[in-house]
Formats: sequence, C-alpha cells, structure tokens
Amino acid sequence: MRRLIIATAGLMLLSISGRHSGEPTADGTICPVPGSPLSEARLLAIERENGCLDDGAAAPDSWPPGWNTATIAGGDIQPARVVADPYPTLHSVVVDSERNRVFMSDPNRHALWSYDRLAASKGREQIEPLTGVRGPATGMMFIAAITLDRDEQEIYTVDNDIGDRMMVFPYDAAGNVKPKRVLDVPHQAWGLSISPERNELAVSVESSRQIVIYRKGAEGREQPLRTVRGPKTGLGDPHGVFLDGRNNEIIVANHGNQGGRQPAPGDAPARQRGTRVSEPQPIVGGRFDEPSITVYNADAKGDVAPIRRIQGEKTGLNWPMAIDVDRNRNEIAVANNGDSSIRVFRRTDAGDVAPVRVIKGPATRITGPMGVAYDLKNNEIWVANYGDHTALVFSNTASGNVAPKRILRNAPAGSPTVGFGNPGAVAYDSKRDEILVPN
Amino acid sequence: MHGIFYDHIHDEIVVPVALGGAILTLPGDAAGDAPPKRILQGPRTGIVQPDTLFVDLEHDELIVESGDDAVLVFPRTASGNVAPSRRIGGPNSGVNNIYGLAADSKRDCIIVANRVESGGRQSDDAILVFNRLDNGDPKPRTKISGPHTGIIKIRQVFVDEERGLIFATIKNNFEAYNYADPRPSPWDPDRTGFIGVWSIDDNGDVPPRGVIKGPATGLVWPAGVAINPKNQEVYAIDSVSNALFMFKTPEFFVKLPGSSAAGGR
Repeated sequence: MRRLIIATAGLMLLSISGRHSGEPTADGTICPVPGSPLSEARLLAIERENGCLDDGAAAPDSWPPGWNTATIAGGDIQPARVVADPYPTLHSVVVDSERNRVFMSDPNRHALWSYDRLAASKGREQIEPLTGVRGPATGMMFIAAITLDRDEQEIYTVDNDIGDRMMVFPYDAAGNVKPKRVLDVPHQAWGLSISPERNELAVSVESSRQIVIYRKGAEGREQPLRTVRGPKTGLGDPHGVFLDGRNNEIIVANHGNQGGRQPAPGDAPARQRGTRVSEPQPIVGGRFDEPSITVYNADAKGDVAPIRRIQGEKTGLNWPMAIDVDRNRNEIAVANNGDSSIRVFRRTDAGDVAPVRVIKGPATRITGPMGVAYDLKNNEIWVANYGDHTALVFSNTASGNVAPKRILRNAPAGSPTVGFGNPGAVAYDSKRDEILVPN
Repeated sequence: MHGIFYDHIHDEIVVPVALGGAILTLPGDAAGDAPPKRILQGPRTGIVQPDTLFVDLEHDELIVESGDDAVLVFPRTASGNVAPSRRIGGPNSGVNNIYGLAADSKRDCIIVANRVESGGRQSDDAILVFNRLDNGDPKPRTKISGPHTGIIKIRQVFVDEERGLIFATIKNNFEAYNYADPRPSPWDPDRTGFIGVWSIDDNGDVPPRGVIKGPATGLVWPAGVAINPKNQEVYAIDSVSNALFMFKTPEFFVKLPGSSAAGGR
C-alpha cells in the first residue's frame, strides 16, 4: 500500500498534461504518439476527435437518458490536482543479446519499450527508446511479464488484472498498432516463458494458482495443452515462471498467498473471460504460506507435487516476482521485490537454503525490482526497477552491495515513481490529511 | 487490493487481501513492511476473495464482501478464524459480484455496489440498500438501477452520512477488445466513466443528483472514490489512467438539486 500525503508542498504531484498532440498523418488527421507521456484520457480524446479508432467513428454519445432534463450538479469539472506518473514504470525485462536489444513492459502507460542493449545514462538524463508500442489498438491494459521468441523475433506480453489477453508483436512494432496475434488467457495471468526446445509457452496465473501450458503460436480462444493446478502443487499466487526445455522443468516463483476457495484440482481447461465456473469449488479458507520457488517436471499436469521446493527463512524470499535461469551456470535469479534484492540460487537447490549470491544495498540502486533477465552472451544480469525509473545492469556474478555496470533511466534522475498499478480504491485519512491508495 | 477503509476513531487502516482470503487491520501510521494488528482469515469466516469492505464506526462493525456474492458482518475487532455475525446473500437479495460497500449509521442501512453483467453493454448493475440488521436472504429496501442512472460497471461507493449522499464510481465501459476490428480498443472513448452522486433515499431508475463526468475530468475508468468534506473535495482513483484526481466540488457539500436534508425525490 502506498501512502500519499496530500498537503500544500513537497508532494509527488505530477500533472498529466497533453504536451504532445501527435504527428499529422497523410490525410491530415492527428493520432496519438505512443512514445509521448500522454494520459489515457488525452489519448482517447485524440482518438475520438480524429477518427483514429475507425473510419466511421461516431460523434460522442449523449449522457444517459433523462440526464439532459434532470437537474444535476457538477458536470465536466477539471480536477484541482492530479497525482500521476507521466513516465513509464518498468515492470519486466528481457534481452536479445544477438540483436543487442533489451525490451521492457510498462503497466503505467500500458506500453512496451525497446532500447539499445548498451544504452546507458551518463548522468541524470533519460534514454530515448528505440521503439515504443502503446495505444488503444495494442489492447494492452494492466500488463505484467514480457518475453521474447528470438527465433521468430516476436515480443510477448500479458494482461494481468484487466484484459485477460496475451499479446504478440513483431520486434519492429512501434506506435499504436494491433498485435500480430492475441490469446485469451485466464484472469490474473502474470508470468510468461517460452521454451524453444519444446515449442511451448507457460503462463502463470495468480488467483487460480495454476501454470497453464500452450503451444507456442497459440491464438484466439485456443485451449492449453495442459495445466498444473491443485493443492498438491504448492502453487500460491504464482508470479515468475521459467519453462526450461533443456532440463525439462518448470520453475515458478510463488508469493505464498492462498485464496479462500480451492481451485479445481486437475488439468481441465482454465476458466476464461466470459465464462463461469460450472461448480463452485470448496471454501477452504485463505492463508499466507511462505514464499517459495517450486519446480515441476515440464510434462507435469494436474494436481502434482513439485519435484523440488526452495522455501524457508534462509532463502530470504519476499514477494519473489520475475525469475530467470542461467543454464550455463545452473542458477536461478529472483527479483525479490519485498527487500529490493536479486537473489541467486543453484538451479537444483531444495529446502530452506540460503542463496549463493545476493545483490542488495544502497550502492546497487535496486528499488522494488519486478523484472530480472540474464544476458548469457555478455555475462550480465538486468534488473527492472519498479520503484524507480531505471533498469540496472550487473555482472552475472555480482554479489553484495555493488554498483551497477550501467544505468538506463527512462525519466530524468530524481523523478518520483508514484507506483499506481490498476488502483481500485481510495480512502481519506482525516487525522493526517492524507489520501490512501491500495494497489 | 481493491478496497480500503480508514478508521479515524481508532486510527486504523483496514484492507481486504483478495488473493489471501483475508482482512488486515493496520495501524493508521503503518508504512513499509509493518505487520497487521489483526488478521481475519479462515474457513469459518466465509471470506473467500474479498475485494471491498467498510467499517460502521457507530455500531463497531466490520462489513466485508466475501468474494462469494455475500455481505458478511463481523465485530469490528474480529480476528482469526471466526464466523460472521450476520450474512446477506441469496436470490432474493440480488447480491452479486460486489465491488463496493458502505454503511449509513444514521439511516441504519448498508449500501452495496452490485454488478450483474449480462453480455455486451447489458447489465443490471445497481446500488442496493439493505437494513443494517438484515440477515439471510432479504430483499433490498431500495435499489438504484436502470438506464437513467447510467450505472454500468460500478465500483467503490462512499456515503456522506451528514448530507445523506452516496458517492459511486461508475466505469461506464465494458472492456471489449475485438481483435478483428481494424482499429480495436479496449476502451470506448465515448463512454468514459464518472462519479455519480445519489441521495441515499433515491430508489429506482433515477438520474444522479451530481456527477463528475466528461473529458475535462480526465476520468477514464474511475474505480475508487473518497470525500473530504472539510475541504469540500472529492477524490477519485482511475484504474486505466493510473492517476489520482482531486476535484473541488463545493456544490456536493451543500444541498444537492432535488434533495431534502434526508434525501428523497
């Protein structure tokens, strides 16, 4: 939960302003420039005003029936103040070292950004991305993970709490473009991993505590090949996932949250948007298990126990988010959001074990990391800082309180990160004159 | 988390944890990794996947959405795996897919933001008002719903007891991305969301008495609302813009059009 202090000065107040009105198209209309820090409201207004949504865009509809004759106070009021972050918030990161590009997902502005792999801020300045994919046509909403199909040069991302879609774009996509293809996925999907060896795609799903495996290239309402789900699996609010086709394993980072209803054990297709569960599942009561890394055979399906589990006090796991695996060194890197660290375990570790290395401390500049990715060719590890407008690059053997090799800023140094992510409620603390916003 | 309540009497923050089937109560000054003062969780609670809640400070009760189409009422300080004191749910109640809860101790009622989607832009979303002590499967005492209300995809609600007003967040926009469209969009720019204000005594298919709606507001999908009567401000959080909007609306803190002090239309 983020506490926002509303007072007269010293606030993280950033006005949303439509500073960029967009580039005229060949026919003279103006469509949104996805790379610009426009608010969603402004994007929509430009789309509507210029018919960018479709050729026959209708005029704005009237208010609901009866409103034009009713006496209604208020109306189209400008806000007195706005708290928002005009800059992208970096969530997940992935590297294509052969093409020297790094890609990141941005749930704040609903976008994907790519950068030159070696781009780095020399001082306080921000780095301009090579490409930005953003806008209503992309379908991206509250996106989470990002991954690549390097063979096909495709970028994958997935909607988390709204949208319930996985979207695939070509590497060179830019602007307000439709995805190459979309796949309906279960509600609250978070992690993505492609195995080129198996030609499969794994998706982690938070609330229903499952890993869903599709064929690579699945689209539309295509059903998964198999599902890992049920109480024996030990899955608890799963986030990062890695489908390891070389070692034939699925590795999953779990927050440990167990909802009050037991998802149906087994391999039946997951519930998708617009469908209801046929039979209510039993109420078992919620609980908070310890965070964990669980490992399954890559062919696992249904309610199966993990073949290994890293869990316990020594692990230091705390809100483990994305994971990546260095199969040369046989190590798992974990973006440990809860204590702003990167924790590295041996791939074959099990039980209550300490990590082999931890990158943590003020010199590292790691702040609320959400994403982590190996660059095996260049022996580097990338960290996407959700709590700061930076991505950091370390040696893949870095340990302790060490400075990053490179810093990539997507906003001028010192720009506050508001951290809103699909916020759904607000409260006013009259004692402290503060506004409370849960994420 | 899709809900929050600040208890100014006991200086506590109360939040639902949907993914853990729990209600956490934290100190009012909690920050960082502060532990909760109380955890309400377990099979006896009936709490499955709670999205929203409210605390009735007058009657010292915690009102929770179960995540299972029911309203659960506990003593405010309930902790652990305990059964609720009362439960409202069932076909007569119409309670379904709750996204907002509030209570008005002066008028002795519980307000439920109810969502019933029936395909496309068809819905029977409503503000349901129950007697505070209702238990079981009662009919609501009033229901604000219908095309004239504009209530489509309702979210958090808040009650101004002093003026007898319900503030409601209305997304007004189903997520509808049709890939086959040449220029698909998940958001319909002509149907952006709004804050609607009704009298707590309104009933039926009636327009709101106040709104914050339109392009100048910046609202796309407002999901949460709170008020600051002292400063005559309305706060709205937007789940698409990822922004917190603060509106100065003195007109909402005096008598609204057509309303009596106690509401009624």
